[in-house]
Amino acid sequence: MSSRVPAVSVLVAALLVAAVLCPVVFIVQMSFRTGHDAFRMPPTLVFSPTLHNYVDLVEGKFVRSLANSAVTATSTTVLALVLGVPAAYTFSRARVRATGLLSLWTLSTRMAPAIAFGIPFFLIYKDLGLIDTRVGLVVIYLTFNLSLVIWMMRAFFDGVPRSLEEAAYIDGAGVVRAFLRIAVPLSAPGLATTAIFTFLLSWNDFFYSLLLTRSEAVTAPVAIVNFMNYESWEWGKVAAAATMIMLPVVALSIVVRKYLVRGLTAGALKG
Amino acid sequence: MQPISRRRFLRSMSATAMLSPTGLWVSRAWAQAGKPYAGARLKMAQVSHAYGEGLVAKLPEFEQRTGMKVEIDQMSFPVLNQRMDLELASGSGAYDVMQMIFIRSGRWIGAGWAEPLNSFIDNSQLTDRAALDVADFVPGAMAPFKRGETIFALPWLSDSTVVGYRTDVFEKAGYAKPPETFEALEEAAKKIHSRQMAAFVTQDNLHWIFPNWLLSYGGGFFANPPGDLTPTFDTPEAIKAAEKFTTMLSKYSPPGGIKLDTSVAQAIMHQSKAAYYLDGLGNTQHIIDAKKTALADRMAFTHTPQGPKGHFPQLAVHGYLMNKASKNKPAAWEFIKWAVSKETMLWSALNRGHLACTRASVLSHPEVRQKFTWRGSDLASLHLDVMKRAGEGYMAYRTVPQFPPIGDRVIIAMTAIASGQVAVADGMKALQKDAEGILEKAGVKIQRKG
Repeated sequence: MSSRVPAVSVLVAALLVAAVLCPVVFIVQMSFRTGHDAFRMPPTLVFSPTLHNYVDLVEGKFVRSLANSAVTATSTTVLALVLGVPAAYTFSRARVRATGLLSLWTLSTRMAPAIAFGIPFFLIYKDLGLIDTRVGLVVIYLTFNLSLVIWMMRAFFDGVPRSLEEAAYIDGAGVVRAFLRIAVPLSAPGLATTAIFTFLLSWNDFFYSLLLTRSEAVTAPVAIVNFMNYESWEWGKVAAAATMIMLPVVALSIVVRKYLVRGLTAGALKG
Repeated sequence: MQPISRRRFLRSMSATAMLSPTGLWVSRAWAQAGKPYAGARLKMAQVSHAYGEGLVAKLPEFEQRTGMKVEIDQMSFPVLNQRMDLELASGSGAYDVMQMIFIRSGRWIGAGWAEPLNSFIDNSQLTDRAALDVADFVPGAMAPFKRGETIFALPWLSDSTVVGYRTDVFEKAGYAKPPETFEALEEAAKKIHSRQMAAFVTQDNLHWIFPNWLLSYGGGFFANPPGDLTPTFDTPEAIKAAEKFTTMLSKYSPPGGIKLDTSVAQAIMHQSKAAYYLDGLGNTQHIIDAKKTALADRMAFTHTPQGPKGHFPQLAVHGYLMNKASKNKPAAWEFIKWAVSKETMLWSALNRGHLACTRASVLSHPEVRQKFTWRGSDLASLHLDVMKRAGEGYMAYRTVPQFPPIGDRVIIAMTAIASGQVAVADGMKALQKDAEGILEKAGVKIQRKG
């Protein structure tokens, strides 16, 4: 079979990539324009770039919101993996009749739209003093990210042959050692994929951040909306903030892309 | 117990202040002596706005005078809408002072979430009535926040619909100024509109723009608000108004003219792509921003057109309310008084360009008049005129508690009609049906037609 890719396929792929990247490129280039220049019609391809929007963001409160996003998303990801991965392994390996029922129960937080839980969470948080705190956000993100971790990682652990762990047991390893030394390393691509998804879900959350924060723990997606002033919208800042929000995710994706592709395609081919 | 001598007391206090770890605190407490609200912490929320920015800038002097610390949270309108509703409904008391959102005022006042301000206004220890001068607020701006004689908020922002236009374009088409009626405006639009120059542009909050036509053609949202809330979107007058309004959107607006946010609508004017911009004063006044356009010397302002049944420019008013659940009510009142004082409002008009204010004395102030007169257009006078008209009560439809969801439905209907997805009469009948459903679901008794 020839390894050469037909020119038409390359062209189609290039067009698809261009179509997908078009909004991203538009936002990024807008972030380097002045507000006056942003909506010039017809749009100009050549313009004098400015860092004005970024300077405004750095000097304002947006950096704090970005830090809130980073802390809550990272904490959620770490905690969700620490709690969810052993749970997923247990569901995968345990021979208990209630396993199916229990794993289904973990999905309960995802069985209704977020808004259904919004008001109850707000009232509980109000009484617990968790409104407008990073801890509060991490707890809420954990409630719906844990099920994602458990269900995704369970599928990966199911793909790891039990015989490998059984061999380790014969060699004297305990369950914890077999889990840490055999199951987890063999599921590394899955772990990376799950971590990315967990991070993204927390990083991009708008609804709970809108509902459960006021000023101290506001995350970046909500802070962006606050550039929509009553009199006019600050599109330059919106674009710069969107670019800053995208950067860590892009960087993270590049770092783990090898595992990500492997994780996403795991099980796609036999053998 | 042996009484302590004055000297001994002072000596002990001095030693404590110098030696104890709390010395700093004591020193501060002394420094704050005479400040009535020393130690009080206040939290306030409002929409991101030049007026709020002005308050933030002036806050240090207020804090210095009163001794209290104030945190002002400014947020976008969609975020404010969601958060304030939830904070008030849950009785959280996290915010002591909040923006009284015009279209939610009916619900919030009705639910008892806003503290009546009369007891504070009438308390001579808390208020210098002459300095506050409640009568100075233009009646049209006060009306939404009063129930009888009870005042639930004091207004700081009143946005009136006005028109910004290109004098050169209208002159070229044979008009000394834009026509006075919607019918004549449509005729003028036929002459002016081209691919290069749209005859009309507005923003996408269509439930704010459409009523300029609706009321002027004899239509309305409800039969007789707040008494009779039977929707009246399927009347011949309302259908005619919708037809006229959506014609301006579909035929004489720039491409995508149905869905332009305020920034884009302003940019279209800045870039000489449209000749006539109808919107709230706070937005419209930006078309002459010299940093964004070189065309300011070709722009002017005028009032909105009228229809066969009269002239009904729109007015949106926002105020500051005291949260009923606040634990700092006297301090909150001190802040509200300062935030809407003549001095603060005048400073804001002169230094922050906040013309959409609510005090007659500020709008009549010679410096304000001079600052906001542009090429013969006296914006302060235009604004004052709208506020006086609105004082007649025709804006009552907007403070009906069920207005927000019905307003959203109006936007959907106008968008569908203007984009040709549905015929005018059908669109308005569908709107009528939906509005009836919303009201009935809320337990409002309406008179259904058949």
